[in-house]
Amino acid sequence: MAAVGYSESMKVNWNWIGYSSAAGATAVCTLAGLAMRSRFDLVNIAMVYLLAVVIIALRFPRGPAIAASVFSVAVFDFTFVPPRGRLTIDDVQYLLTFAIMLAVALVISRLVESIRHQASAQAALAIDAETERIRSALLASISHDLRTPLAVMAGASSSLAAGGERLGEEERRALATSVFHQAQEMSEHVAKILQMTRLEAGAITVERDWVALSEIAGAVLTRLSERLKAHRVIVELPDDLPLVRVDATLIEQALGNLLENCAKHTPAGTIVRVFARREGAEIVVTVEDYSGGLSDRDLERVFAKFQRGTVEGGGTDIGLGLAICRAIVRLHGGRAWAERVPAGGTAFRFTLPFEEPPAVPAESTVT
Amino acid sequence: MILIVEDEPDIRRFLRSTFDLEGYRVVEAASGRRASIDAGTHKPDLAIVDLGLPDIDGVEVIRRIREWSPMPIIVLSARVQERAKIEALDAGADDYVTKPFGVGELLARVRAAFRHAVRTASGTSILRLGTTVVDLEKRSASRDGAEVHLTPVEFRLLIALAKHSGMVATQRQLLTEVWGPTHERDTHYLRIYMKQLRDKLEVDPVQPHHLLTETGIGYRLVLDE
Repeated sequence: MAAVGYSESMKVNWNWIGYSSAAGATAVCTLAGLAMRSRFDLVNIAMVYLLAVVIIALRFPRGPAIAASVFSVAVFDFTFVPPRGRLTIDDVQYLLTFAIMLAVALVISRLVESIRHQASAQAALAIDAETERIRSALLASISHDLRTPLAVMAGASSSLAAGGERLGEEERRALATSVFHQAQEMSEHVAKILQMTRLEAGAITVERDWVALSEIAGAVLTRLSERLKAHRVIVELPDDLPLVRVDATLIEQALGNLLENCAKHTPAGTIVRVFARREGAEIVVTVEDYSGGLSDRDLERVFAKFQRGTVEGGGTDIGLGLAICRAIVRLHGGRAWAERVPAGGTAFRFTLPFEEPPAVPAESTVT
Repeated sequence: MILIVEDEPDIRRFLRSTFDLEGYRVVEAASGRRASIDAGTHKPDLAIVDLGLPDIDGVEVIRRIREWSPMPIIVLSARVQERAKIEALDAGADDYVTKPFGVGELLARVRAAFRHAVRTASGTSILRLGTTVVDLEKRSASRDGAEVHLTPVEFRLLIALAKHSGMVATQRQLLTEVWGPTHERDTHYLRIYMKQLRDKLEVDPVQPHHLLTETGIGYRLVLDE
């Protein structure tokens, strides 16, 4: 609703500027005409007005264009056409001048309008093409990332069901465990697809609350401890890092997706550093890895949906993690991006707006 | 005996076989109405309640049970039911497991709930968190043998967490228990005092082992046996 209100008021404003410009242009032409009067024919002065009408029609909608032609005709008649000082016409040929001015205003308005229309239709087509690209990427993604675990689950569980008693203890356990792991992975994929869909549909409400980033980081590291166990994660959060007013669950996802991304796309043993600091009106959160780093092209590309970057070891990432991270951060009024670390590696950063946290009443330390 | 309130027959089946294997007796209820009756007639020791029941709301089932019984209640919820989960916990549920879950996770919750019941019954006031020992009654704490000073509010917060030890305490529960009902939305109090407690009691305050964060929901105090 807010967006509609905004464009409505923009439109009103724009029209108002159009009409004032029409009046202004007429005034300028009149001054020019007065200066020209001694040396030029009236027809040439009319041409000056015509130029003004053309310019207004090009820049503004039809209303101001018509206004410009009406103003021009009226002022031209009043100021230059004999009998001067009156809105009457003696010479029929000036009627033709007026008609032409009006026609020019209308024709140009029409032309400009249709060009604008085509441009927006083209933009809509481009959006359709993008939607189509995402849709096919989604389908490709679903068919690969969901079919593989489904195939494993169907195969392993049917094998257990059909001849479980003939299989060795170890084999049985291995089959059952793979069903469990694939199911967990698929659940993650589905959750991400759902989350992205909800974020894009604007179906997510941000429930802001005062949150400590150290707690969020702690919860993320606990949740991802298994996946990050081969990496060396260093957390550096200053003791005086202010609380942030965010949706804890969403920011946990955003930070978690950055760390998951590191776990998936960097080799075992990679050092991953998580840190945050206040920079003016923003809190900047960074997840930095020291392994190779992305190409310039990939730095931005990785945040697009269903992009896995071109780094090796793509694994089974559905390619939504960073897109979700960016969408969540934007919902909070922040930015998310990646940049290369001079030492070799990639820093994924996001910002959150800084707000002065409310005070907590001091407690007497005497027991 | 464990009461399972779940409308999906397949989920009831694997829950039953899991608990059978672990030596628990099981009563199954496929609806909220059935659950209220079964809870009254069978007097189970613990209830597992799915939040997405076809007839009455799982939260309502929890309220009805809580009217007469302190039995531990563990909630099963889908990922999208974040708000319902908090509502259920505030209504008296003790813990939750998010679907889809492995039975290992659920069994751990069930064991923690029973341990908590035993702890409460024994009336012990000693909390063990790694090398940190807290005596709630004497209001003293030590870490690696050295005395640690806790402020009165820090103690009250620890007591509130211990009331739910091994299980989840929601932000609202902690705020009302420590600061009173007028402060039930002042979550920034919790952030500051939880940090203070972790700094004093945890080896690594950012990656705690005992004072855990349940993001968006509350906290969980995990004690050593």
